[in-house]
Amino acid sequence: MTRKQRRLVMIGGSLAVLAVAAALVLNALRDSIVFFSTPSMVAEKHIAAGKRFRLGGLVQPGSLKRGDNLAVTFEVADGSAALPVAYKGILPDLFREGQGVVAEGALDQSGVFRADTVLAKHDETYMPKEVADALKKQGHWKDDYGKPSASAETQQVKGVMR
Amino acid sequence: MTLWFVFALMTVAAIFAVLWPLGRATPATSGGSEANVYKDQLGEIERDLGSGMIGASEAEAARVEIGRRLLAAVDDEAAAAPKANLRLRRSAAVAALVGLPVMAAAVYLALGSPQLSDVPLAARSRPADVNQPLANLVAQVEAHLEKNPTDGRGWNVLAPVLSRLGRYDDAVRAYRNSITYNGDSSERRADLGEALTGAAGGVVTAEAKAEFERAVAQNAGDPKANYFLGLAAEQDGRKADAASIWRAMLAKAPADAPWRSLVQTSLVRVGAAPAAPALSDDAMAAAKDMSADDRSAMIRGMVDRLATRLKQDGNDVEGWLRLVRAYMVMGERDKAVAARTDARQAVANDAERLRQLNEGLKNLGLDG
Amino acid sequence: MIAEAGHYALVLALGLALIQSVVPMLGARWGDVALMNVARSTALAQLLFVGASFTALVMLHVTSDFSVVNVFENSHSMKPLIYKITGVWGNHEGSMLLWVSILALFGGLVAAFGNNLPLTLRAHVLAVQAWIASAFYFFILLTSNPFLRIANPPIEGRDLNPVLQDVGLAVHPPMLYLGYVGFSISFSFAVAALIEGRIDAAWARWVRPWTLLAWIFLTLGIAMGSYWAYYELGWGGWWFWDPVENASLMPWLAGTALLHSAVVMEKRNALRVWTILLSILTFSLSLLGTFLVRSGVLTSVHAFATDPARGVFILLILCLFIGGSLSLYAARATSLKQGGLFAPISREGALVLNNLFLTTACATVFIGTLYPLALEVLTGDKISVGAPFFNLTFAPLFVPLMIAVPFGPSLAWKRGDLLGAAQRLTAAGILALIAIAVLWAWTRGGSSFAPLAIGLAVFVVAGALTDLAERIGLFRLPFGTSVQRARGLPRAAWGTAFAHAGVGIALIGIVCETTWNSEYIGTLKPGDIAKVAGYELKLDDIGQRQGPNFREMVARFTVGRDGNTLSVMTPSKRNFTTRGASTTEAALLTRGASQLYISLGDIAADGGIAVRIYHKPMVLLIWFGPVLMAFGGLLSLSDRRLRVGAPKPAKAARALQAAE
Repeated sequence: MTRKQRRLVMIGGSLAVLAVAAALVLNALRDSIVFFSTPSMVAEKHIAAGKRFRLGGLVQPGSLKRGDNLAVTFEVADGSAALPVAYKGILPDLFREGQGVVAEGALDQSGVFRADTVLAKHDETYMPKEVADALKKQGHWKDDYGKPSASAETQQVKGVMR
Repeated sequence: MTLWFVFALMTVAAIFAVLWPLGRATPATSGGSEANVYKDQLGEIERDLGSGMIGASEAEAARVEIGRRLLAAVDDEAAAAPKANLRLRRSAAVAALVGLPVMAAAVYLALGSPQLSDVPLAARSRPADVNQPLANLVAQVEAHLEKNPTDGRGWNVLAPVLSRLGRYDDAVRAYRNSITYNGDSSERRADLGEALTGAAGGVVTAEAKAEFERAVAQNAGDPKANYFLGLAAEQDGRKADAASIWRAMLAKAPADAPWRSLVQTSLVRVGAAPAAPALSDDAMAAAKDMSADDRSAMIRGMVDRLATRLKQDGNDVEGWLRLVRAYMVMGERDKAVAARTDARQAVANDAERLRQLNEGLKNLGLDG
Repeated sequence: MIAEAGHYALVLALGLALIQSVVPMLGARWGDVALMNVARSTALAQLLFVGASFTALVMLHVTSDFSVVNVFENSHSMKPLIYKITGVWGNHEGSMLLWVSILALFGGLVAAFGNNLPLTLRAHVLAVQAWIASAFYFFILLTSNPFLRIANPPIEGRDLNPVLQDVGLAVHPPMLYLGYVGFSISFSFAVAALIEGRIDAAWARWVRPWTLLAWIFLTLGIAMGSYWAYYELGWGGWWFWDPVENASLMPWLAGTALLHSAVVMEKRNALRVWTILLSILTFSLSLLGTFLVRSGVLTSVHAFATDPARGVFILLILCLFIGGSLSLYAARATSLKQGGLFAPISREGALVLNNLFLTTACATVFIGTLYPLALEVLTGDKISVGAPFFNLTFAPLFVPLMIAVPFGPSLAWKRGDLLGAAQRLTAAGILALIAIAVLWAWTRGGSSFAPLAIGLAVFVVAGALTDLAERIGLFRLPFGTSVQRARGLPRAAWGTAFAHAGVGIALIGIVCETTWNSEYIGTLKPGDIAKVAGYELKLDDIGQRQGPNFREMVARFTVGRDGNTLSVMTPSKRNFTTRGASTTEAALLTRGASQLYISLGDIAADGGIAVRIYHKPMVLLIWFGPVLMAFGGLLSLSDRRLRVGAPKPAKAARALQAAE
């Protein structure tokens, strides 16, 4: 093989791998990313049942009900709308009524959000970022959630955890 | 003094680190070279060949390749002969001798606090500092509660103090613990709500509102909870609701309730009561019995006193707003405008106060 | 005085770094040896002063000097001594000081042990190192100064964060930083080479030990962080594809590629332009990781907004160094001569393939990590890119890479013999097929891909062993000769085999854990028995215990199997009343490489307690693999051939085959 041919083989091979990777990325971006919504966005957009998304907001005080065998229901609210959520499993340590929460799952036919994951990536004062932004937009932002001390602390926790 | 001595020693050491290589004669060894690497590689081939790890032909091919590199490297090195550049050396020495100390002093004096000595824990066991008796007391109580978290009385004492110190987040926690260990009560719920509101910078959040609602559920007449529920209504833009809550409070309130004036002021703010110079109830009551002239003289006297006080201490945004409002009510728009200018100057270097002031002025229709 | 002396030492380090940035460059330009040697003494002095500064901060934390803001905000006089020390880097300011200390440490190491480098190269490397250091000293002094004081010191500190009080914190961040920052050396070497305009095989040999050192620490740091998350967070997960994790994975992937391409450059003087680019990219990704974690753009946009100075400052440093080095690269790279020739099927070709897949995988991680940020900035949509994305992109790219791993060392330099390599790997292939067949026959449940993946992993491990066996002529030559050859075999060869086997072993762990992981989630009352993976776990009782600053609910489980009692496990849940925080302390029982994992939930109204029990088969292999990789790296590092390397055109095995 001449030098030119060799180089062509190498470049061709690289392009092929890159093309495969690009195809994989595009395919994955289409199928596996999850959008974030708040209860009022859900009400506006009429998200179809079965479509996965992340729901964020505040746990409505007084709405948490524990059923049999670790089944729980609660409502997630963002000040203007509320959405019932059903979950089965152990809630994270930091799950509190009145605090921010992010749940991942999909709506069922009756309009209940069936969560398979309830995220606990925030400490007592820290608000999940998406929830904070959404609440701010609607004017229900509580300032101390974003206080540097609180979020910096969380950051540290994350920073050293990984 | 020792501190400066240590600084001087450190500076000398730093300068020495720069001057030392400059002052020495050119070292005999001039570092490694590429040629050495290739010579080593050639030796390695011999070793591999000797131990039978590679065949003779492969060894030969590698030897040729490395040999070529070795020749090129030797050529390159011959081209670059070291030479001394005294001018540059001298400038480097000057940079170290003058630039380094000057730069270090400039940066350090701008950022450091050389007048402060160390205060390790051991030194702090001495009697509490008179400047901060409250903060230290709080710290002691907190330390005590850290060890005895179930001491409800401790939480009871601590919570309002924290609230007053402006540590609202901690106050919220303290009130929650107080409720846990002392039992629920409308006062505690209302206090908790107030701390939550304080933590949110004065905004009655949904969480705080829930606490006030719980307080009212236990004692419908709780003044604090009712007042804040009215405030929540006002902040939500439901001014009529706010006014009706507050009116109901005033109707039921005893005449000497200390919070009457607060509620009245709030009513004025939502536009539900006739605008009047916000003077205390007593003064207003007294003024009722006077003749018109006397009354205006008294009001004028109070307004002047307020103006004088604000000239001396201009940080009181509420005071300024009251003054402007008073002038407006008395029909002296020029003075109101002058007071507005004074107020803005007085709080100009505090962004938060300036914002409050401007908002207040806007409500009075005197912005711009 | 300690605080102020530490502060002043940091300022002096900045001054020295500034001198070190300029003087050696001038020296190299004018060929003045004395000026070039300034780099060396200033680098060592810088290390001394930064070290003093860091020690001062540690002492302040140990003595609980709350007149220092950083100590007041992040320490508490009642913390145990070890957490007072580790708390130094448990906060932003302290961790940045650790970052520059390690930067200075690497600079000092090059100054002290870089005797084999040409003077100009060493001067340039240290000058570039000082540019980075100066930027970060400015950053620390101006936006994140750990030595700021309070005139009236409070009596007690603020923070006693329970999650951070763990031994994991003592070792994990320093390890990770040693890795991140270590790559600054290969970056400095690359920029120095570009400035000099000369890049040869010798360059790669000089840069390799430093890259390897950084890579070892990064490997261990990532593995340790993963294990810490596994046992501390109570979810039993060991990798979350969290942006912060990705930030450390990206430099690792690029660094691994760099290690391999540097071998080609050293032996064959090829891939020079590419290797330089990888050096720049690896450290750029480390900087990006520092930026992502430290600026808070990922965890909370709000934190970024409250202190814009910090984020903007790091962003500036990022742009300056990445943009500057890439521009220099663009300007100089075209003038570099082409290197040695090789056929696509050769050791070089295999290493190119390795680089191709590693960098592509790195790029997918990069896209997955930054795409949500970019989308939010551009459209305002909030999305999350989680594990499914990475499983769909990262995994397919790793499969061909894994298949290629055993072939690489079996191919000869320049022009390889694929058929011959395949023949030599027959045994490994057969072993893999047996593993697949056995697993298919014996296991129930799980994805049908799992046995294939394990077969692949067995192939990688067996391939690594085959390579060793071929090299020493095991089973072909008399045993004595083999042993003799094994002794004479360069340690780098052993290192390669260990590192490659480590990859396979980690893969076995990952596949087993994700496929045959069994869990039990439910409510148990005292006396109840939960059955998981053949184990019987009986909840004996639930008790309360008072800790130093927390109350703890402890559950006692008796673990048995087939009627025999094996052990007692005591998971607990701690409640820190004053801080209002709670943590879950999982209980682990190790059986071979598998683990039983119990973590507690809340107590229900009827007295039952929610528990999560996992049986994680072979889970320890996930971390044993990286440890093996790091050990392989260490073996290579100790090889004198790393200092004295030679191209080996043909493999021992090939020569032997010809002789047979």
